[in-house]
Amino acid sequence: MGVEDENNFKLRPMKCELNYLSKSDGSAILAQGETVVLVSVNGPLDIKSNSQSIEKATLEVLFCGKGGKPSVADRFKENVIKQTCETAILGCLYPRTGISLTIQELEDYGGLLTCTVNCACLALLNSGMAMRHMVAAISCAVNEVGNLVLEPSYEQVQSSRALLHFVFESREKNLVTGFTEGSFSEDTYEEALARCRLASELVFDFYRDIVRKYSNVI
Amino acid sequence: MPLDYRRFNGPEDSIPYNYYTKEYLKSYHELHRELIDENGVRKDGRTLDEARSLCMFFARTDMISQAKGSAYIELKKTKVVCSVFDPREIMHQNEFSALGQLFCEVKFAPFSCPRQRRPHAPDAEEKALSVALRKALEPTVCRHLFPNYQLDIFVYILEHDGACLAAAINAAGLALADAAVPMYDIITACSLAVIGDQMFVDPTEAEENLAIMNPEKDGINNGLITMAVMPELRQISDFRQIGSMDVNCIMKATEVLQKECEKILPNIQQILVLNVVNSFEQQKQLEKEAKEREAALNAKMEEWKTLLNAG
Amino acid sequence: MAEVYKLIHPVKYFNDYINRNVRPDGRKFEDQRNIKLNVNAIKSTDASAVVKCGNTTVVCGIKLELAKPKAEEPDFGFLVTNVELLPLCSSKFRPGPPSDHAQVISNIVADIFANSKSVNLKDLCIVPDKLAWVVYCDMVCLDNDGSVVDACIMTLITSLKSLTLPKVNYDVETEEISVDTSIRTPLNINGLPVATSFAVYQQSPRSIVLIDPSAYEEEMCGGTGANLIICWNNGQFCGIQKFGGSNLSNEAEKKTLIIAKERSKLVEKVIETCLKNEIK
Repeated sequence: MGVEDENNFKLRPMKCELNYLSKSDGSAILAQGETVVLVSVNGPLDIKSNSQSIEKATLEVLFCGKGGKPSVADRFKENVIKQTCETAILGCLYPRTGISLTIQELEDYGGLLTCTVNCACLALLNSGMAMRHMVAAISCAVNEVGNLVLEPSYEQVQSSRALLHFVFESREKNLVTGFTEGSFSEDTYEEALARCRLASELVFDFYRDIVRKYSNVI
Repeated sequence: MPLDYRRFNGPEDSIPYNYYTKEYLKSYHELHRELIDENGVRKDGRTLDEARSLCMFFARTDMISQAKGSAYIELKKTKVVCSVFDPREIMHQNEFSALGQLFCEVKFAPFSCPRQRRPHAPDAEEKALSVALRKALEPTVCRHLFPNYQLDIFVYILEHDGACLAAAINAAGLALADAAVPMYDIITACSLAVIGDQMFVDPTEAEENLAIMNPEKDGINNGLITMAVMPELRQISDFRQIGSMDVNCIMKATEVLQKECEKILPNIQQILVLNVVNSFEQQKQLEKEAKEREAALNAKMEEWKTLLNAG
Repeated sequence: MAEVYKLIHPVKYFNDYINRNVRPDGRKFEDQRNIKLNVNAIKSTDASAVVKCGNTTVVCGIKLELAKPKAEEPDFGFLVTNVELLPLCSSKFRPGPPSDHAQVISNIVADIFANSKSVNLKDLCIVPDKLAWVVYCDMVCLDNDGSVVDACIMTLITSLKSLTLPKVNYDVETEEISVDTSIRTPLNINGLPVATSFAVYQQSPRSIVLIDPSAYEEEMCGGTGANLIICWNNGQFCGIQKFGGSNLSNEAEKKTLIIAKERSKLVEKVIETCLKNEIK
């Protein structure tokens, strides 16, 4: 689902189910296009005394790739999610405890990490954890001609020159996390940032939709 | 070997390119002949009994800002960094230990050896060096002063060109002194390679390699000796010998090494004394600046007082 | 006295400095630390560089090996970069296999370098499907005082620029390999990626951007490592990564981009001067 014009674009179709797992405190499964991720949240729970912090909850993120083998790149993904969620969660309400996030990649057709961040946010909402703000991740590809494609599909990712991913918070739409692949000019960066910021509103709308539907059921 | 998931790995079957150079195919005798020329001078221009202790010895402290004490030692090409951290409580300890413990770790940089790339995981040589370093340092540190505590000593070998254990011990001794750890004496170390009737004091990597390599002939002295000494107390804290040699050879080697170790002492002392002098000067400077600031503040105060009094 | 204050009131201590528009080590917000660079200090390597940014020290050593290229990419060589955060560089690191933090740094450095496309891996192939160079670049941090990624990228690119490949003769029929180390050709490097780290400190209502943060500043800004890393190469960005720390407004973001560009000019000059002196 590419962009038709600047103000009228659609995201890749998002499908979500909250409380997908029955035994965890909060869970969500999210499909963005063909990319599917499952996240479960447990906490606040007891952890080892040497990893406790007296100021805030300790966040533990475990990322399981599809292949099952751990790799250096997985640690990087864990770091991205951990740092993003740390800013979102009001950790100071749960000192000396741990919050664990387990992520299972199910299908990766581009934009895995943005899908994971969104799914983690939904799982956190589902678990009822106190949060400062929500977060929404949007990715953007620069294609061969140099045009921007928001939420690229698998083929678009494969043929792109650069990929930019941004995570925004829901209150001021400030940048929380950002990471890029490939090289690009400053103007491209600025434009991508501005357009992703606009697009993040759609993701927040989606969150509201899902949570509203869910709360109607209960 | 299992694949290391925590690092980026290259192809499994890569081979260092020097396996295909002419150098690599040389026989033991060719290599042996190359070590010294007809005038009895070694490849790097030293005589047999000359250590790299004078002009080729470079040492300094305060290498690492995050550590309590640190040292860097360079013996021409051999480069060693050492850092010592604050004593910390021993984790998962069942019994009370009256003597403090030393934790030593010696590691080679992956690129440190001229022959091949070192694996990241600790190998047998690194483990042996770590134990040797701990054994050498234990008699010098006043361990009864920090019971139930552990001192971490990390040594990293950036480049290995022989005598790395000796360099590690020297660096660790200097770093411990820099960290103000109570010690009975400064510790110095030196090593020596024996090939036949020749004794290479402070050997290079090529000489060490040849001394350990065992040609078919028996009954010939060959091996490597490293000795650590507390020069003021005139005591030997560690003596390590690899290879086979007769008793006379060992006695002679001990004498040579004792002398060499004593030669290193003034170098180390000089660095430590200079450190003390520098820190005194720094302290003086700081005090002077503090006084100036105080005087300025007092002057301001007087000014305000007169202003207030004036109404 | 100041030391005690720092221990008892860590946040207030740091705020006191920030309020007076100065950093605990005496720098202004936009000041970076001195850079010292040295090449080919370690003779056992094929190329090496040592960099010191303030206290942060990183050594990079390159070892060359030969291997058969991958079957799926027969005309590509290998370039393997690893960052090692030694236990001796900070009391935070324990001996043993690399921690999660070390792996994240390793991944960032490898990503930035791959994205900059400085080395064409095809240049590392000797005979397609038969023989290719494996360039092992090991970056070792001897002293970790913040902004490790900047220093890693700097040593990596400097040592690669001084790297020369010996001549290899490969006999296709006998599959015999011989290496002549007397003839060496330099490796082709395009561009010069320069990374700049920032720490973002939230002091409501404003967020403050600290350039080239020290380890202490990184810790105060809540992250493990720098919060924002911008890499500029050849008039293009080849990596902008932001994690954690305080959220960044648009204006602050623009300012950091400008600073990163300016700093890259300076670092480029340092590297060029250093390499020029080495040739003499």
